[in-house]
Amino acid sequence: MAGSITDLSRTAAPAGLTAEVCVVGSGSAGATVAWDLAAAGREVVVLEEGADYTGRQLTQRDGRMFDQLYMDRGGRATADLSISVQQGRVLGGGGVVNQCDVVPIPEGVLRHWQRRFGLSDLSPEALVPFQARALADLSANRPDPGGPLFNRNNRLLRQGAQALGWRGEVMLHNRVGCAGIGACGLGCPVDAKRNPRFVAVPGAVAAGARFLTRARAVAVEGAGQELKTVRARRLDPDGYRELDEFAIRARVVVLAANAVGSAQLLLRSGIGNRHVGRHLSLQPQLPVAAWFDEEVRFFRGIPQSFAVTEFELEDDPEHGWWGFRLESIGATPGVVASFMPRLGAAGKEDMRRFPRVAGALCLLPDDPQGRVEVERSGRLRIHYQLSDEQRARYRAAARAAARLFLAAGAREVVVSDARPVSITSEADLSRIDAIGFLPATVPLISAHQQGGVRMAPSERDGAADPEGRVYGARDVLVLDSGGYPSSASSHTMAPIIALAHFQARRLLARLPG
Amino acid sequence: MGGGALAWLRGRAPPVAGLRCLSDHEYRTLRQLALALFPRQGGFSVGAEDLDLARSFDGFLADEPDWNRGDLKKGLFLLEYGPVVFEGRAVTFSHLPAPEGLAHFERWVEGGLVRRQLALALRRFLALVFYDRPEVWPYIGYEGPLVQ
Repeated sequence: MAGSITDLSRTAAPAGLTAEVCVVGSGSAGATVAWDLAAAGREVVVLEEGADYTGRQLTQRDGRMFDQLYMDRGGRATADLSISVQQGRVLGGGGVVNQCDVVPIPEGVLRHWQRRFGLSDLSPEALVPFQARALADLSANRPDPGGPLFNRNNRLLRQGAQALGWRGEVMLHNRVGCAGIGACGLGCPVDAKRNPRFVAVPGAVAAGARFLTRARAVAVEGAGQELKTVRARRLDPDGYRELDEFAIRARVVVLAANAVGSAQLLLRSGIGNRHVGRHLSLQPQLPVAAWFDEEVRFFRGIPQSFAVTEFELEDDPEHGWWGFRLESIGATPGVVASFMPRLGAAGKEDMRRFPRVAGALCLLPDDPQGRVEVERSGRLRIHYQLSDEQRARYRAAARAAARLFLAAGAREVVVSDARPVSITSEADLSRIDAIGFLPATVPLISAHQQGGVRMAPSERDGAADPEGRVYGARDVLVLDSGGYPSSASSHTMAPIIALAHFQARRLLARLPG
Repeated sequence: MGGGALAWLRGRAPPVAGLRCLSDHEYRTLRQLALALFPRQGGFSVGAEDLDLARSFDGFLADEPDWNRGDLKKGLFLLEYGPVVFEGRAVTFSHLPAPEGLAHFERWVEGGLVRRQLALALRRFLALVFYDRPEVWPYIGYEGPLVQ
């Protein structure tokens, strides 16, 4: 039986909807699980709050695309507004709007999860076929560093790393047929991303899964019963307002609404133990800008494909993945300007030289110190405070990024703070030590939310068991990054797909019939 | 200073047709901020005077949830009275010349948490909207979307 994709903003609410499995979220986890279950003959319905945007509907315009493709219209942030929490809201999820970087879970992280968190089943050996499957799903390939799509920004980072003798690599990505448009964070208008929208979603539909878009899950009821009810609301075509409510009756409910969204739904539903919403990792990233005399044009070509890995540890005994890495980054002017620190005429002067700007992101793994809260009014709050150790690591990363750009010939490097820090020579690097990283000063960005429904062998230590089953519920599972006990990787799409395949297989083995 | 005196300081805002969410006063406060952040001089000649950024904010806010709309409206109120509340001056934000408005706003960026939060939210929104406008692109070397 063929499945379907139905836009509920343009049709009446479905009545009497039933399924064996209801999946909430259609991103890397949800679409992958739906694909595997449907391919095994299971009846699957997937709820997606976003709409289906592909091809030229992806206009490369900052305002409209952030409005449509991201949670809270791109405005989601931690409660103190310190960290912009970027989370996809579109059929296919974050893979539609990410920078296409493919970084599998390092073996060191899996060993750390085994040793520190008791997730003994998640061994590097057991995950080999699933990590390979994720790479295959993504058509993972390495951009040609000599080719035209490997833009000047990437070359400058590589040049700086070579000059300093630092380790670095061209990252795997999931583009096929890339046209070098460069607006990857706003979706790809030529559909060159081999993301879940073009792999798992069509695979699941072909196997019979039904996807309902503009459908917001608001609660799961009867979590202890054989048949659960997922209450959901239709949204208007822009996704701004809730329309009428409908329900799906399902035996199994799989939450795959992102770490924040899955925890939020459990909290709204009153399901689970005291760990639900806790142990949230945001991996906040720090952007650093540099101006060169020559044109860089970081807004064209592949924005993010070179990583400096000199300061990165993949098997830190305390944390698994730790340290920091530096990656090239580019974006459209609205996004770039929204993170630039100088104001007034000085800010305009910075943007006049937009083609000469280069960008780097400092990617830092974090401890799972955040928390998701749903207030009585229903308002979502994401709480997260930087530790002193993190602040010190951000300073170290910013210093390294500045040195890298200077080594590549930058005229000026700017690190944001309440008062922007300008660096024109190595002698200025000590200025970075004064950055306090106070709340709402430095533009930190979270693109890889994990945790919030931590997996653990015992309910004393986590909210879900190692197979993703939420403690205190019956067949309500969290199979996305919400279950991760710590940062899985510097980029979570490939880890999420690998673990979703792994967990889907275990779920299938348990389902009757 | 009493409520009457505060209202007198703020004065009457010119009526603005077609607003969906903002009051005339809120629109004026935001417009003044946009003029301070994006003057015609500096870098290139297009500025907030040429683009109605406050109306874009009005359209955005109208479709936001009640809690966010409420927070941002309170924030605009605080911004308007910022010179009075935080600097003891007998003038509100909308009456400051743009360079003074910018200097005042820059002190918010370095001020207490609430001021920093509001400054961050408003400047990010306005910057995103300003540089998303095709009228600006020729001046910053950006060709716009490659696929139409």
